[in-house]
Amino acid sequence: MDTMSNDHTGGYNRRRLLQGSAALGLAAFAGCVGTEPDDDNGADDADDGADADGMADEIDVWGWDIAARAMMLTAEEYEAEHGGTINVEEFGREAMKEDLRSRLTAGSGAPDVAMLEMIDGPAEIDTGAILEISDRLDEAGIEDDFVEGAWASLTDDDGAYAIPWDIGPTAVYYRRDVYDEHGLEADAIETWDDFIEEGQKLPDDVYMTEIPENDLDGVWRYQFRQLGNRPFTEDGEVNIYNDDSIQIAETIKRLYDEDVGRLIEGWSPAWFDAYGAGDIASLPSAAWMEGTLRDELPETDGLWGVYRIPAHEEGGPRASNWGGSSLMIPSQIDGAERDRAWDFITWTLATDEMQLLMYDEYGLFPALETTYENEEVFDEELDFYDGQPARRLFADVAEEMPEYEYSVNTPEVSDAINNHFFAMLRDDLDPEEAVENAAEEVADRTDRELA
Amino acid sequence: MRKQRQRDAVWKFLTYSFVIVMTLGMMVPLYWMMVAATLPQEEFLQFPPRLYPGTAFFDNLAVLHEETDFLISIWNSVFIAVVYTVLSVLLCSMAGFAFAKYEFRFKEPIFYTILATLILPIQLLVIPLFLMMSQIGWTDTFRAIIIPWLANPIGIFLMRQNMKSIPDALLESARMDGATEFQIFYRIALPAMRSSVAALAIILFLFQWDLFLYPLVILEDSANYTIPVALSGLEESRRVNFDQIMVASSLAIIPMAILFLILQKQFVSGILAGSLKE
Amino acid sequence: MATNSESRGWTRSELWDRFRTIRRRITATLPALSREQVAYVLISPFFIIFGIFLLFPVVYTVYLSFFEYQGIGDGTLFFIDLGPIFVQVPEIADLQFIGFGNYSRMLGDGLFWQAMFNTTYILVIQVPIMIGLALALAIALNAAFLRAKGVFRTAIALPVSANIVAYSTIFVILFNETGFINYLLATIGVEPIEWLRSEFWARKTIVTAVTWRWTGYNMIILLAGLQTIPQQLYEAAEIDGANRWQKFRYVTLPQLRPVLLFVVVLSTIGTFKLFAEPYVITGGGPTNATITIVQYIYREAFVGSPNLGYASALTVVFVAIVSVISIAQIKLGGDE
Repeated sequence: MDTMSNDHTGGYNRRRLLQGSAALGLAAFAGCVGTEPDDDNGADDADDGADADGMADEIDVWGWDIAARAMMLTAEEYEAEHGGTINVEEFGREAMKEDLRSRLTAGSGAPDVAMLEMIDGPAEIDTGAILEISDRLDEAGIEDDFVEGAWASLTDDDGAYAIPWDIGPTAVYYRRDVYDEHGLEADAIETWDDFIEEGQKLPDDVYMTEIPENDLDGVWRYQFRQLGNRPFTEDGEVNIYNDDSIQIAETIKRLYDEDVGRLIEGWSPAWFDAYGAGDIASLPSAAWMEGTLRDELPETDGLWGVYRIPAHEEGGPRASNWGGSSLMIPSQIDGAERDRAWDFITWTLATDEMQLLMYDEYGLFPALETTYENEEVFDEELDFYDGQPARRLFADVAEEMPEYEYSVNTPEVSDAINNHFFAMLRDDLDPEEAVENAAEEVADRTDRELA
Repeated sequence: MRKQRQRDAVWKFLTYSFVIVMTLGMMVPLYWMMVAATLPQEEFLQFPPRLYPGTAFFDNLAVLHEETDFLISIWNSVFIAVVYTVLSVLLCSMAGFAFAKYEFRFKEPIFYTILATLILPIQLLVIPLFLMMSQIGWTDTFRAIIIPWLANPIGIFLMRQNMKSIPDALLESARMDGATEFQIFYRIALPAMRSSVAALAIILFLFQWDLFLYPLVILEDSANYTIPVALSGLEESRRVNFDQIMVASSLAIIPMAILFLILQKQFVSGILAGSLKE
Repeated sequence: MATNSESRGWTRSELWDRFRTIRRRITATLPALSREQVAYVLISPFFIIFGIFLLFPVVYTVYLSFFEYQGIGDGTLFFIDLGPIFVQVPEIADLQFIGFGNYSRMLGDGLFWQAMFNTTYILVIQVPIMIGLALALAIALNAAFLRAKGVFRTAIALPVSANIVAYSTIFVILFNETGFINYLLATIGVEPIEWLRSEFWARKTIVTAVTWRWTGYNMIILLAGLQTIPQQLYEAAEIDGANRWQKFRYVTLPQLRPVLLFVVVLSTIGTFKLFAEPYVITGGGPTNATITIVQYIYREAFVGSPNLGYASALTVVFVAIVSVISIAQIKLGGDE
């Protein structure tokens, strides 16, 4: 990376030169040609349609799936309270990422506010397409209201670019009825060893847990974070080949080898079927899974419980995070739209009422830490969990979860881990070798050194 | 004689068997897609899969209708594909005719250039194309979806190959009767190519019908969405709404089936035969 | 229309006459075109549309392939001000010139070669099978004795109209470890096959899916080609006592050659551009065994950091390689 920035000035000059010659080439036909249009011509119409506060009357907001539907709720409240018109558009996840990427890259046509998954944060911030909001954050004084662990992927050396929305504090969901039937004790599980031991009480056709063959990187990542590690060092070296990683690989392999975990495609019909029927008894996942289970397996309502994810060693950490998203303003948005966008974002994400509304309706677990003080919500005994106040468990995990920073090379890390861990299970390879191969693949594809 | 008849019977039997087996093979996944459209999500997710229709088709349809403007999307897709096909058939036939039946300078390099554009992955053209369309104010319009692909290299190539089978003698005799070159094209070449034009129409229609990434980026208002764009909205964060996708996909087959049936009539042998005088 | 013209006192035939007169006058004023000029006029729409809409994206792609994409640009690349006409071209990207850097990176990029290998592997198996089936079906469905041709043709062509996401989902479910195909295999005593987990079988699953969807499409094209073969040629062959095979070998094949060549070239290009099926069915896995070259290009451009420079260089090389292969096919296919 360093060598690149040294070259940067050279590249810059070359670019200027190219622009210059392009402009000269057209000068013959043009009355006036330049690279810096004067204000008259370059003026934007940002001030049109603004209200008394200088905010635009109307803005477009993009999100996918339930996140979009959650924003429709807050938009309604916002319009009633502050006026303006908030058009929330709902997309499919991949479709929105593709559409947004095109519009951000082309420099025009992007929405005024868009959802940004934390996992994509660094890559998008790196392109300069997202507005830096540090000054506004300072002015509003809301930074400390959020869980500390949620900011890392939304900031770079220059400041912050998006406000955390929801996060995914981890826990193991388990089927109480299946555990009870076969004499498993959820309370007895503190480490992965305990987990496997309890799992062996189950009959042959019932598995203790899933091993998602298409999401092994997700499993690795939450455990890696649980152990307080991160895939790249401060200097940008690849930090995947280490004891923590090997320990995680060994854990996954043991689950597989001892027939405690069932290798299955996560979120596939067969997967839902297995959880619906109780053929798999536990599901290590995050707070957002509740909503999916409610929607897809309504017949299991009341049969679930949660406990913290097992530690790798006795007394080890049992808190992590899986997934999360934020809201951002594209840097191509300016003037009155930008102000309205900011106003809407802070309303949606930095007020307890709105975050709790979205949590209640759509299960989006708030990154806004101040909401956890609301005992009515967080200590409620929930029927879905057979009376367990599960939200408090998630809130405690959220406050404890180690910070973790995604990087511009997260896709390469995901690919490498998923491929080599899958090969490890399928071809019965040594866990250490799988981790080493994955680290080397990441180093190779990202042009980095191994730490 | 009897032996010959026996052999014919065996041949007929084999042909029928082959065609029927292939037809069944083709229909199994489609049949199952339609079965899935009639099942509630939970039953669809069962293993082993259920193989006979359920009763939830209209429920699924109602949900689909709630989530997307699906009927409008079908109309949009049909409209775009039909306009595109009609215009493009003409342009492709013209160019194909030129390549098949005329000699001109740089014919070969020009043809290979056109062929190379066929290889371009659309995925990478989307961003600069969107940039252009937003500069000229064509975003969220059907013309932005239709016009850039009008001169379709697949169509040009197909018509070039097919038009080669038109006998030169036929064109020469028309010239001697005083027909202009353009008259030769639309009075003789096009009618002689009925079945090829029908195949071309299917190819072009399908090309538009399947476009996804480009219309996704160009279209903004959901009332303008085409079928694949509308379907992309059914994908939840980590999974797809199978039941609705199956309903939508089953419905989306209908316009294609109608197109096939209409064009069926054009697949008649021996159009050229009558005009061939040797 | 009719009422309108009548109110002005025109009858339909008068209108037509007028139309013909105008057309004749226009034709008369047109300069007499040589045949070569006619050919240029006939192919010009392609180049006009290409020049307006696609030339810029293509040139831009080639241009980008010599740069490293560093992020979006701010400000203006250049502007032209002619009083009422004002064109401002924004600087869309912050680019750093790296010469052939992207191209040399490709040489050492294991995933690029893997994607190239996967695509070629799928192609070499899939295209011959599909074209063989399509040709056999086209000939069978062209047979005079066959009844209900329309039904068969439509049924066999229908898979192509299935939405890609829907049909890919169906294939995932059919070919799952516990899916319908393994269920069928079990009834005849065959061990379940890991259709999606083993590298060998995952590629075969993609081959099956692509063949299923596109065989009917190619069948239609070949059928259309068969029908332009003059019937007299078969009659003549019959008089000479040719049997079925000889008629196929000496009449059908040579007459169909241009269309067959088209189908081969089109399928080769089509399979080289394979994207949606592996994207949905296998996600490029297991262990990158089914990632295709276009999928890789897409990933570079749309997933994670937008490596538009590298994605562009991949595209340039991809188009070059496939062009050479297509041209070789055309030359070897005896295209005059």
